[in-house]
Amino acid sequence: MFIAPYFAFAKKSFLGRSAYRFEHFMSILNTCLQIFIFAGIYIALYNGRSEVDGITISMVSTNFVLSMGLKAVFCVDDYFLPSKVWDGSIANEFLRPVSFRGRMLAENMGNAAFNVIFHFLPALIISAVVIGIYPPENIVMLLLFLLSAILGYGVLWGISFAVQAAAFWAINIWSLSTLKDVFVNVLSGTMIPLWFMPEWLYEALKLTPFPYIYFTPVQIYLGQLSYRQILQQCGIQLVWIWLIYLLGTLLWKKGQKKLVVQGG
Amino acid sequence: MKSDTLHVMAVYTKTIMKAWFQYRTDALLSSLTVFFREATGIIVIYFTLLKFGNLGGWNIYELLFLFSLLFLTYGIMIIFFTGLRDFGKTVRNGGFDRFILRPRGLLFQVIFTNADWFAAVGHGGLGVALFIITAGEVGIEWNLRNIVYCIFTVIGGVLIQGAIFLLLAALNIYLFETNSLKELFYWNMRKFAGYPISIFHKVIQICMIYVVPFAFVNYFPAQYLLRKPDMAQYPAVYMYITPIIGITLYMLAYGFWKYSLRFYKSSGN
Repeated sequence: MFIAPYFAFAKKSFLGRSAYRFEHFMSILNTCLQIFIFAGIYIALYNGRSEVDGITISMVSTNFVLSMGLKAVFCVDDYFLPSKVWDGSIANEFLRPVSFRGRMLAENMGNAAFNVIFHFLPALIISAVVIGIYPPENIVMLLLFLLSAILGYGVLWGISFAVQAAAFWAINIWSLSTLKDVFVNVLSGTMIPLWFMPEWLYEALKLTPFPYIYFTPVQIYLGQLSYRQILQQCGIQLVWIWLIYLLGTLLWKKGQKKLVVQGG
Repeated sequence: MKSDTLHVMAVYTKTIMKAWFQYRTDALLSSLTVFFREATGIIVIYFTLLKFGNLGGWNIYELLFLFSLLFLTYGIMIIFFTGLRDFGKTVRNGGFDRFILRPRGLLFQVIFTNADWFAAVGHGGLGVALFIITAGEVGIEWNLRNIVYCIFTVIGGVLIQGAIFLLLAALNIYLFETNSLKELFYWNMRKFAGYPISIFHKVIQICMIYVVPFAFVNYFPAQYLLRKPDMAQYPAVYMYITPIIGITLYMLAYGFWKYSLRFYKSSGN
């Protein structure tokens, strides 16, 4: 079957993750500590006020728990493709009868599935107990949240692929990848909820893909959007996925022509 | 101390600089990237405070002043202690065996054969820039007393963090891998240290003062210079003892390191 080899790749990376238990516990702890830091800061910022601009402290906590949790799930290895370019093994990948990009996505999705079960859920439960979060507005919104989160993953994965494809030209992918992370961290609402961004900046951000990674799903979860708005937001997510996909394809095609692998 | 110690140090430092700056554009880009990555926290504080005005009574400049001490000390620290930060790698790939065979002190070699200059330039640059800008804004009077205080406190802050790295490096001899411990006890605690500790839960405050004493790297020194009301809940003497804590911790960590060396077993092959 067409999908079968990709499923095998996903399964392989899922199982591969089960090997490093201690590291994994530490990473859950890291996520929780991050959430606690931000929750602590916002409790101090609210200073007893019940709400600021119509946003309650519980909404802020929920934003941090969900977006940090999703961030742990959407963990993309930016060096997957570059490392294959550096050691030349990319040449073998071209010979395989599966799409390399599809394989990358499949492996990363296996990883993401592992993270949902063994990272997102434990972190969610721990932080729900310690700082408390809102339950989803209703079951429909929960399902729409999941749908929008998957689309958000698509946006982030596409950006990462484009960064990785730059490895055909640039050696210093570390800088590019790190700068991308700076933009994503600051502008997507994981470190400062976008409600509290200056108005002009928030309006400008809507023209970029960043708010559609974590913030849209969070808003849906909190019931801040009407069905009509949800449809519109998910539509924009799809458009971004498509645009970034085109960019990735362009880089990937050009890169293949450019690629020179040192013989050995 | 052998007579050619300074000469050996100079040769090592020259070689390291050459290695790090072999590819100039790349070195510049990497240093700039570290700068921007670390500035993430600054940008977030800036936007947050733009909205909320103050955090636990600290305004934006006071908060950034607090942050600047963290970068400044890390920038200086990493020139000396990169070898300890990456000590796990040295042990695993057998590099430490080579050090043992050489006729110089082990810690001397670990310290002077590596320095992460990108981090030094990135963190240090950010630290100096922030420190200069914010120190003016929060109205610190630069009399002799404050200058001497700052110099000793920065040295103390460097030593506190150096002691943590030295302790973790010594633990490497038993455990081979301490990255997760470093993540937990150094990097995560450092994330809390960017903010006034008084805003956090009591458990975190106790951790920051008595377990991983980051509070003495930036919070208490900043309090000496700023005198915010939230200092009232801590003993006033804490503002003065950063250098003492730095030296004491470093000596303790050094003792543990010396003791642990006896148990060193090569990673083999």
